[in-house]
Amino acid sequence: MDKFFYFINQTGFANLDLSSLVMMVIALFLLYLGISKKYEPLLLVPISFGILLVNFPLSALMAQPENGQPGGLLHYLYLGIELGIYPPLIFLGIGALTDFSPLISNPKTLLLGAAAQVGIFVTFLAMLALGFTDLEAGSIGIIGGADGPTAIYLSSQMAPHLLGAISVAAYSYMALVPMIQPPIMKLLTTKQERMIVMQELRETSKRERILFPIIVILVTGLFLPTALPLLGMLMLGNLFRECGVTDRLSKAAQNELNNIIVIFLGITVGAKCSAEYFLTVETIKILVFGLVAFIIGTAAGVLMGKIMCRATGGKVNPLIGAAGVSAVPMSARVCQAVGQKDNPSNFLLMFAMGPNVGGVIGSAIAAGIFLAVL
Amino acid sequence: MKGLDAILHYEGFTMAALGITVVFASLVVLALIVSQLYKVLFLWENRKLYYDKAGKLISGFKSRQPTPAGPESEGLRESARQFSLLVRIMGEPFSLPKLIRTAEITGISHAHCTVSRLIAVNLIVPDQKGFFRWNHKACERLLQKSREQCAKDQYLMAP
Repeated sequence: MDKFFYFINQTGFANLDLSSLVMMVIALFLLYLGISKKYEPLLLVPISFGILLVNFPLSALMAQPENGQPGGLLHYLYLGIELGIYPPLIFLGIGALTDFSPLISNPKTLLLGAAAQVGIFVTFLAMLALGFTDLEAGSIGIIGGADGPTAIYLSSQMAPHLLGAISVAAYSYMALVPMIQPPIMKLLTTKQERMIVMQELRETSKRERILFPIIVILVTGLFLPTALPLLGMLMLGNLFRECGVTDRLSKAAQNELNNIIVIFLGITVGAKCSAEYFLTVETIKILVFGLVAFIIGTAAGVLMGKIMCRATGGKVNPLIGAAGVSAVPMSARVCQAVGQKDNPSNFLLMFAMGPNVGGVIGSAIAAGIFLAVL
Repeated sequence: MKGLDAILHYEGFTMAALGITVVFASLVVLALIVSQLYKVLFLWENRKLYYDKAGKLISGFKSRQPTPAGPESEGLRESARQFSLLVRIMGEPFSLPKLIRTAEITGISHAHCTVSRLIAVNLIVPDQKGFFRWNHKACERLLQKSREQCAKDQYLMAP
């Protein structure tokens, strides 16, 4: 009989508490968003499943090694985040997948990518004012860059206890780009501005595309060595893609390696969302101010777009400024969709890809600044 | 600690200003370098022509005589004719890779080399935005010379 009661005590039913139950409901809701609504499914599905797994009562998946016993599977996989391994490897894959030609042929769009990072620093100030420490405030502010791996990398280095909430916020807002950005874009631009048709981009040569990642690394590496883990991998991936002699490495970085790391990253980020860390007032503040950071970033990008529109005598469509937040290629697609509503013959996608990939570089630099100074 | 006190305690304003400045500065420098990259590459790819030009300038050599109408200049005129037609079809401004590719498709041999030569004699000129334009006036002058030469030859050879 003792064995029976012991078994009953070891079941989830006997140990279920309200907070775990709430987290499991949240996990199922995120799983629904990922599968049914297709909101960033490649990341939301493993993240939400990780949340589900780790919130089962007595779940040993994140258990630390004790008394000679090994720890849980996710505890070891989580080391990849803790040691800052996964995000740079994700950047390697992103670099191998990204075509920087729109940025090379129209480099002034890098300024739009820079402007969209303003939200990060404004939110940093707001979070300091709300009582967070500088390390926590920096980690929350980076959500405004709308760059998941950067947000994860920074928070794992500066505020690991907030990692779960920050990464869920970052990926949720990235998935909600089509809902968050259009109202801001419409509010800040006139119909005439949205209808501007931009001049065709010139073609870039292979030499330019090969030299670009090397130049980026030389410049940013000298400005900010702390940004090198992210930018270095991003540019290495891009060099694999463009140099023409490392096709196998490029394909591995784009597919196998990237997919494996996405699984590890997603599930371990989810595993960090246990009830004790996630169901707090801080999480609500992070979710709210993550959204604020994102909105300010979008608005700053559009406003910079308006300035460039004026400066060039109406040759730049200010909508592409909204793509300055990273969220590749979702925010570029949103620019295309919003632009086409007012002018169906307008194709802004390639023009918006410039600030979009510029935003990836910008947010990695912003993360490097926090790492260097804080 | 909350509010303005917290911001001042952590030197938040300095940090924010520094952050925005560094992000802008590094991306502006990057934009400037990338915007000049194609010009540098253009110089590099045509370095031989520029070396020759520089060499001629340094040695003070300046031919006052018009180039004799040999087989070389006849080849240039023929190339000018072919490429002016191509450019008319492609429209202006055009990019060099596209022009070279179109020329290769239409069966023009040594398209890259010919384009370099047309650039050297200012028949193809950059428009300062990364694209190129056809120098119609220079082309017309060159072809006019060719027509005059042809007429002269016919006149001389007439019985």
